[in-house]
Amino acid sequence: MNKLLLAALVSSAIAVPAYAADYTIMAPAAPGGGWDQTARSMQQALTEEGISSNVQVTNVPGAGGTIGLAQFATQENGNPNALIVGGYVMVGAILTNASPVSLENVTPIARLIGESDVIVVPANSELQTMDDLVAKLKAEPGAVSWAGGSAGGVDHIAAGLIAKAVGVDPTQVNYIAYSGGGEALAAVLGGQVTVGISGYGEFESQIAAGELRALAVTGSDQVEGIPTLKESGVDVNVENWRMVAAAPGITEEQKASITADIEKMANSDTWKSILETNGWTDMYMAGDEFKAQLESDIESTTAVLKDVGLVQ
Amino acid sequence: MSSGTDLQRRPDGAALVIALILLLISLVIFWQTSTMRLPPLQARVGPQVFPYGIAAGLFLLSIGTAISAWRGKFPARTRDNYGPVAWVIAGLLGQILLVSWAGFALGSGVLVACTAKAFGRGPLWFTFLCGTVFALVIWFIFARGLQLSLPTGPLERLLP
Amino acid sequence: MDTFGLLANGLAAAMQWQNLIYAFIGVTLGTAVGVLPGIGPALTVALLLPVTYRLDPAGSLIMFAGIYYGGMYGGSTTSILLNTPGESASIVTALEGNKMARKGRGGPALATAAIGSFVAGLIATLALAFVAPWVVRIAIAFGPADYFALMVLAFITVSAAFGDSPLRGITALFIGLGLGVIGIDLQTGQARLSFGIPDLLDGIEVTTLAVALFAIGETLAIAATSANVKDEVIAVKGSIWMTLEDWKRSWPAWLRGGFIGFPIGAMPAGGAEIGTFFSYAAERRLTKHPEEFGEGAIEGVAGPEAANNASAAGTLVPLLTLGLPTSATAAIMLAGFQQFGLQPGPLLFTSNASLVWALIASLLVANFMLLVLNLPLIGLWVRLLTIPKPWLYSGILLFATLGTLGANGAMSGSLGPIRFSFELMMLLGFGILGYVLRRFGYPIAPVVIGLILGPLAEQQLRRALAISQGDPVVLVHSPLAIGLYIVAAAAVLVPLYLRLRGKGEVLRQLAADED
Repeated sequence: MNKLLLAALVSSAIAVPAYAADYTIMAPAAPGGGWDQTARSMQQALTEEGISSNVQVTNVPGAGGTIGLAQFATQENGNPNALIVGGYVMVGAILTNASPVSLENVTPIARLIGESDVIVVPANSELQTMDDLVAKLKAEPGAVSWAGGSAGGVDHIAAGLIAKAVGVDPTQVNYIAYSGGGEALAAVLGGQVTVGISGYGEFESQIAAGELRALAVTGSDQVEGIPTLKESGVDVNVENWRMVAAAPGITEEQKASITADIEKMANSDTWKSILETNGWTDMYMAGDEFKAQLESDIESTTAVLKDVGLVQ
Repeated sequence: MSSGTDLQRRPDGAALVIALILLLISLVIFWQTSTMRLPPLQARVGPQVFPYGIAAGLFLLSIGTAISAWRGKFPARTRDNYGPVAWVIAGLLGQILLVSWAGFALGSGVLVACTAKAFGRGPLWFTFLCGTVFALVIWFIFARGLQLSLPTGPLERLLP
Repeated sequence: MDTFGLLANGLAAAMQWQNLIYAFIGVTLGTAVGVLPGIGPALTVALLLPVTYRLDPAGSLIMFAGIYYGGMYGGSTTSILLNTPGESASIVTALEGNKMARKGRGGPALATAAIGSFVAGLIATLALAFVAPWVVRIAIAFGPADYFALMVLAFITVSAAFGDSPLRGITALFIGLGLGVIGIDLQTGQARLSFGIPDLLDGIEVTTLAVALFAIGETLAIAATSANVKDEVIAVKGSIWMTLEDWKRSWPAWLRGGFIGFPIGAMPAGGAEIGTFFSYAAERRLTKHPEEFGEGAIEGVAGPEAANNASAAGTLVPLLTLGLPTSATAAIMLAGFQQFGLQPGPLLFTSNASLVWALIASLLVANFMLLVLNLPLIGLWVRLLTIPKPWLYSGILLFATLGTLGANGAMSGSLGPIRFSFELMMLLGFGILGYVLRRFGYPIAPVVIGLILGPLAEQQLRRALAISQGDPVVLVHSPLAIGLYIVAAAAVLVPLYLRLRGKGEVLRQLAADED
């Protein structure tokens, strides 16, 4: 979908100052998607708050971000002005694509935001609660079809984790992959599948309109009164987080200075209001804490992807 | 390869080569698909069914093409000049190898010069100059004015 | 207020003189950028969207609508005149349109495209205004099995673009299908035929293939023959305007195109180009001048162009009512709408009524403005053909590579220390393929059609079977699917029957002659 491109241009072209860039943020995805929006929002916050005089965003789409990541790792080595946006999806994509470049080849700075997945059914579905869904899943796993994003993505991982948590073989999960956008939404609305599982934002307006019923969110906190999976008796906690990383081979001082800039941005009013308008949850986490979290995420994702058979 | 209308032979050698290429593509698809490792997900219609079907189709088509070539059923071809074709390809290759470090304008200058040469316009230095200046203007409009991210080189950096 | 009242309000706002000027500027800019070979409407809208931000919401909305229509029409212009479609939806236009242009009938081809776009745009925009909520219900009812049936029908209609040899036509289609399986399989996440090259994991970009096969392949083919054939391009022969005969043949095609394109565009997984295939196939079957098809039949331009515009308005149905962007252009438009404060979704028509109606009115006005601007300019566009070949083809290649680099600028290949764009390398490779195919009499369009339809058909079939847990009955379970299969069967059997009957008559004739 890289011809979606420059939807991009959207925010960047409003102001076109002519001086040199302080930061160049790579969005390893086509314009318009989540990583691109994150990069553009960072651009806005960094410049409006005066943290950086000029920020450029570049898009290198492809293969769950791994193409952008590979290009970033090899071409920006030691460049203290280069940043890349990434996220949980990248963790999975590195594994399923057997990418030669991993997150160890860049310098993770901070986790910024996150979004919970939500499990929905059409308004006329017989399933009223998460318990109903679990009962149906246990009775006949194949009869529950799950519509979500591409195989191996966060939606698929969440479905696999749920099955595992309730004692169903994850390879039995009847997961139907749809190519992003709203195709999965259309399938749920049309009653083609049993449940839909995707980012809260994808289904938000339909839930508000009463067309879809939300059963649970996959994150650690309730969203708009929708219970979490843990509250519904399913011990799963997955969030689709996004982060920012710097180039490999930078000095400790450079890393500290970038971290300071990002922290300043994350605490700014501009950033807070961007989060609000986009419905993003602030999940800011930096330093060693983030490093540990990242390692544990990589470990658990590897385990799930092996369970559902996508990684061997 | 350059068999003109009047020297159309039977069998048509070039068309036989096409049949061979189709056969090779079909075999490559077969081979690549057979080496895929399958996740133990659902084994209904898996990811191999379509590639195998397409490979089988290409296999049959290569036989059909071979028969058609043998009977000389391919349409008559005009006598092509490969010189200009080579110039255009050289121009595109030149641009591909140049843009990442020499920038869009110089790379495109080479493209324009080679293409113009292919269509009989020269001299190269003149068309190269025209092409570079034109591409620089285009670069300025699209990269500066419309924020398209295009490769930047020494010439582009001279512009504000 | 009822629908008419709301629409009238919107129109009244859109017709203010400064808004008309904005519409005019938008159409002009859109046409100017869209007319560059290799730069399709999606890229045009994306590039020019920021221009609209500096205006008030009403003004920016109307300029945006103008850019949108201008970009689409600009793309058709190069498709007709230079055989270089900038995107998949104008490929079919190039089939007949370019043949017309080569015979000096570029003027009527452009005119029928412009008027057809206007007529179909009008039908589709009105349909959007009045029946969107109902259409979207039907569109959503389409399940994977129904989509698969639709794809089967689409595959059958492709044969209309095969040219004179079914063997070469099917071969071209299969080359496209083969290219279509390259990349990560959506359902299992496994890489297919990507040979370990990361750039291939996302598959072959349709735009890259289309621009390469048409623009680059055409340039190579012309370069190969230009020394032999003296400049045979005639810009204008006969009237630059449509004759009475042209009108008579065009208007039913416009209407049919409009009614075919709108519902296809409204389907969440329909794809704008599929409507153009159907329209072309329909015109080819219904025409009274079958001998002209493949040689420059005006219906073959009128129908698909109308379908293309109608399906573009059709994409607005899921976009506005569900917030589903179903094409590249729609995704860009979504970004645009959000900028204007429109949050597409089920509540939009109630919560944001005035802006929605302003948008619909803007589309109507911009559509009209396109006609006003472009009909007088046709004479000028046709002059494109008189640009000396060295400059014309240099320009085509320059813009084709510019569009490709702009869409995917990753310098991910390397040759020693030199980094290069893998996408440009593919553009060159497919360009050479396009030349070879032309040289040996293979049709070009089926390759691109195969790349578009193959993955759609495969994913829908596998989804249908996965949801039914492998029960193939699901494929013929819904009335929608059954209906589509009946149409498909009719499309195959009826011509076959007619041909057999025709043959019988010939035999009878022969027998009679012998007596």
